[in-house]
Amino acid sequence: MVNLQNVSKSYKNGVNALNDITIEIKDGEFVYVIGETGSGKSTFIKLLDGEEIPTKGRVEVNGVNVGKLRFSKVPLYRRNIGVVFQDYRLIESKTVFENIAFALEVINKPRREIRQRVREVLEIIDLVDKAKSFPSELSGGQQQRVTIGRAIANNPRLLIADEPTGNLDPERSNEIVELLEKINEAGTTVIMVTHDINLVNKYRKRTIKFEYGHVVSDSREGGYVAHV
Amino acid sequence: MFRLIGRHFKEAFQGIFRHFSSSLNSITAVTVTLLLVSLLTLIIGNVSQITKTLEDEVKIFVKIEDEVEDAEIPALTRKVENVEGVSMVEFSDKDSELDKFIKEYGEEGKLFEIYREDNPLSRAFIVSLREGYSISDVASRLEKVKGLTGVEFGGVSTEQFLKVLNGVRQGGYVIVLALTLVAIFLIQNTINQTIFNRRLEISIMRQVGASNSYIRQPFVIEGIFIGLMGSVAPVLATIFGYKYIYETVGGQLVSGMLTLQPVYPFAFYVSAFLVVVGIVVGLIGSFLSVNKHLRWRR
Ligand SMILES: Nc1ncnc2c1ncn2[C@@H]1O[C@H](COP(=O)(O)OP(=O)(O)O)[C@@H](O)[C@H]1O
Ligand SMILES: [Mg+2]
Repeated sequence: MVNLQNVSKSYKNGVNALNDITIEIKDGEFVYVIGETGSGKSTFIKLLDGEEIPTKGRVEVNGVNVGKLRFSKVPLYRRNIGVVFQDYRLIESKTVFENIAFALEVINKPRREIRQRVREVLEIIDLVDKAKSFPSELSGGQQQRVTIGRAIANNPRLLIADEPTGNLDPERSNEIVELLEKINEAGTTVIMVTHDINLVNKYRKRTIKFEYGHVVSDSREGGYVAHV
Repeated sequence: MFRLIGRHFKEAFQGIFRHFSSSLNSITAVTVTLLLVSLLTLIIGNVSQITKTLEDEVKIFVKIEDEVEDAEIPALTRKVENVEGVSMVEFSDKDSELDKFIKEYGEEGKLFEIYREDNPLSRAFIVSLREGYSISDVASRLEKVKGLTGVEFGGVSTEQFLKVLNGVRQGGYVIVLALTLVAIFLIQNTINQTIFNRRLEISIMRQVGASNSYIRQPFVIEGIFIGLMGSVAPVLATIFGYKYIYETVGGQLVSGMLTLQPVYPFAFYVSAFLVVVGIVVGLIGSFLSVNKHLRWRR
């Protein structure tokens, strides 16, 4: 599914955000990526969604060599991956329903298909009764569920979440991870970047730890492993 | 497909109304620009016409040396025809030169009929110029041709006048181009503002994989719309203003020596040109600013 071979990324300002990373993530996995601020987690995600190209090495997702993708091919590629961020990025003037539908409208899905899929998504994120609400009428946790709903609307095979619980209290955070687990069980590969050690320890999964742009641990057993 | 275009139109118009004052500024800027473009185009068009009239009238008169045999004239004609800047050569023999001379003096001219037998006048070539060539340049080239003597032409004043007209025309082109660039810049500013207002939607569209052309469309429509709106007043001003001026001066300048371009079709051509410039300016302006923002940061 995701395959990074000796990948390095340096930004134009000279920062080496990632150094010689090799990671393989199989179809259907649920993987945490942890590490301090500035350790390169977001850079890793930007390499996956085609926002940045690796300085060295090879980034392959779903059989696509993302680093070699032409600009014009990036949009089409992105239809196969969903991305969720810490800030919800919902359109305030649109309802929950419309926000999710928006993701499908802009890739020219037929109207009937959109309506049907949005209803399914609302079931998955458990917000059927909020379909007509505006983002400002929702709690943070509910808003984040909407953005997850929007990210999975097009049935992506890979869902990436960059600190999706960063702004949420522990209870809402649990809900979000449980939702991601549900999506994962339905067959979508999930990569979740997080700071929250409690979550990582509670819902144990494969955990990759970044430090200064290096992978310092990759534990299949899950849970947070302190390194000396 | 229609639904799609409808959506984009809706968004484009929403864009215009959401930041109406900026759109209005852009439309006004395009209007002012196109008014100036119109004025300059009207001037250029008429200057071109006047230049052409004058150039057609300007001929160079070259005397042929008496030593040249009549049999050599055809060869000499060809030689003159090959001089750079010459378009047409007309030969005039001694008799017709005398005829002209006599005609110029009217009744008294008849007195010169006595010279018919032993004509002291020279044979001559009447040389027309190719467009864009300076009279004095061609004249000095003609002077160097063997067998020719005494080159005469309409004088320095005509040539200077033509030079001024050409300067006006070229200056006009430069100003039109500069104004167009300014308008493009102003439209870019408005579109930049629309893009800023809609940056969240744009970032979402990019994230979920909307194609670049899809994202670009509403902005381009907005740009074209601004260009079109900006060309309405200039078109009306061009047609009615030019009609007014044309009728006031009776279509002529300098008591009939120089004629102006007729209102139809000239003012309509200029109007069409303004609309095209408006659209192109809107198109380029919006394209540039959208492309700048959509450039994948890779
Ligand atoms: N667009 C960028 N340009 C320059 N440097 C960047 C850019 N994005 C991130 N960085 C730098 O790269 C390093 C890794 O950043 P990031 O991947 O965002 O880390 P994390 O998400 O783990 O906090 C940091 O030092 C950061 O300052
Ligand atoms: Mg980050």
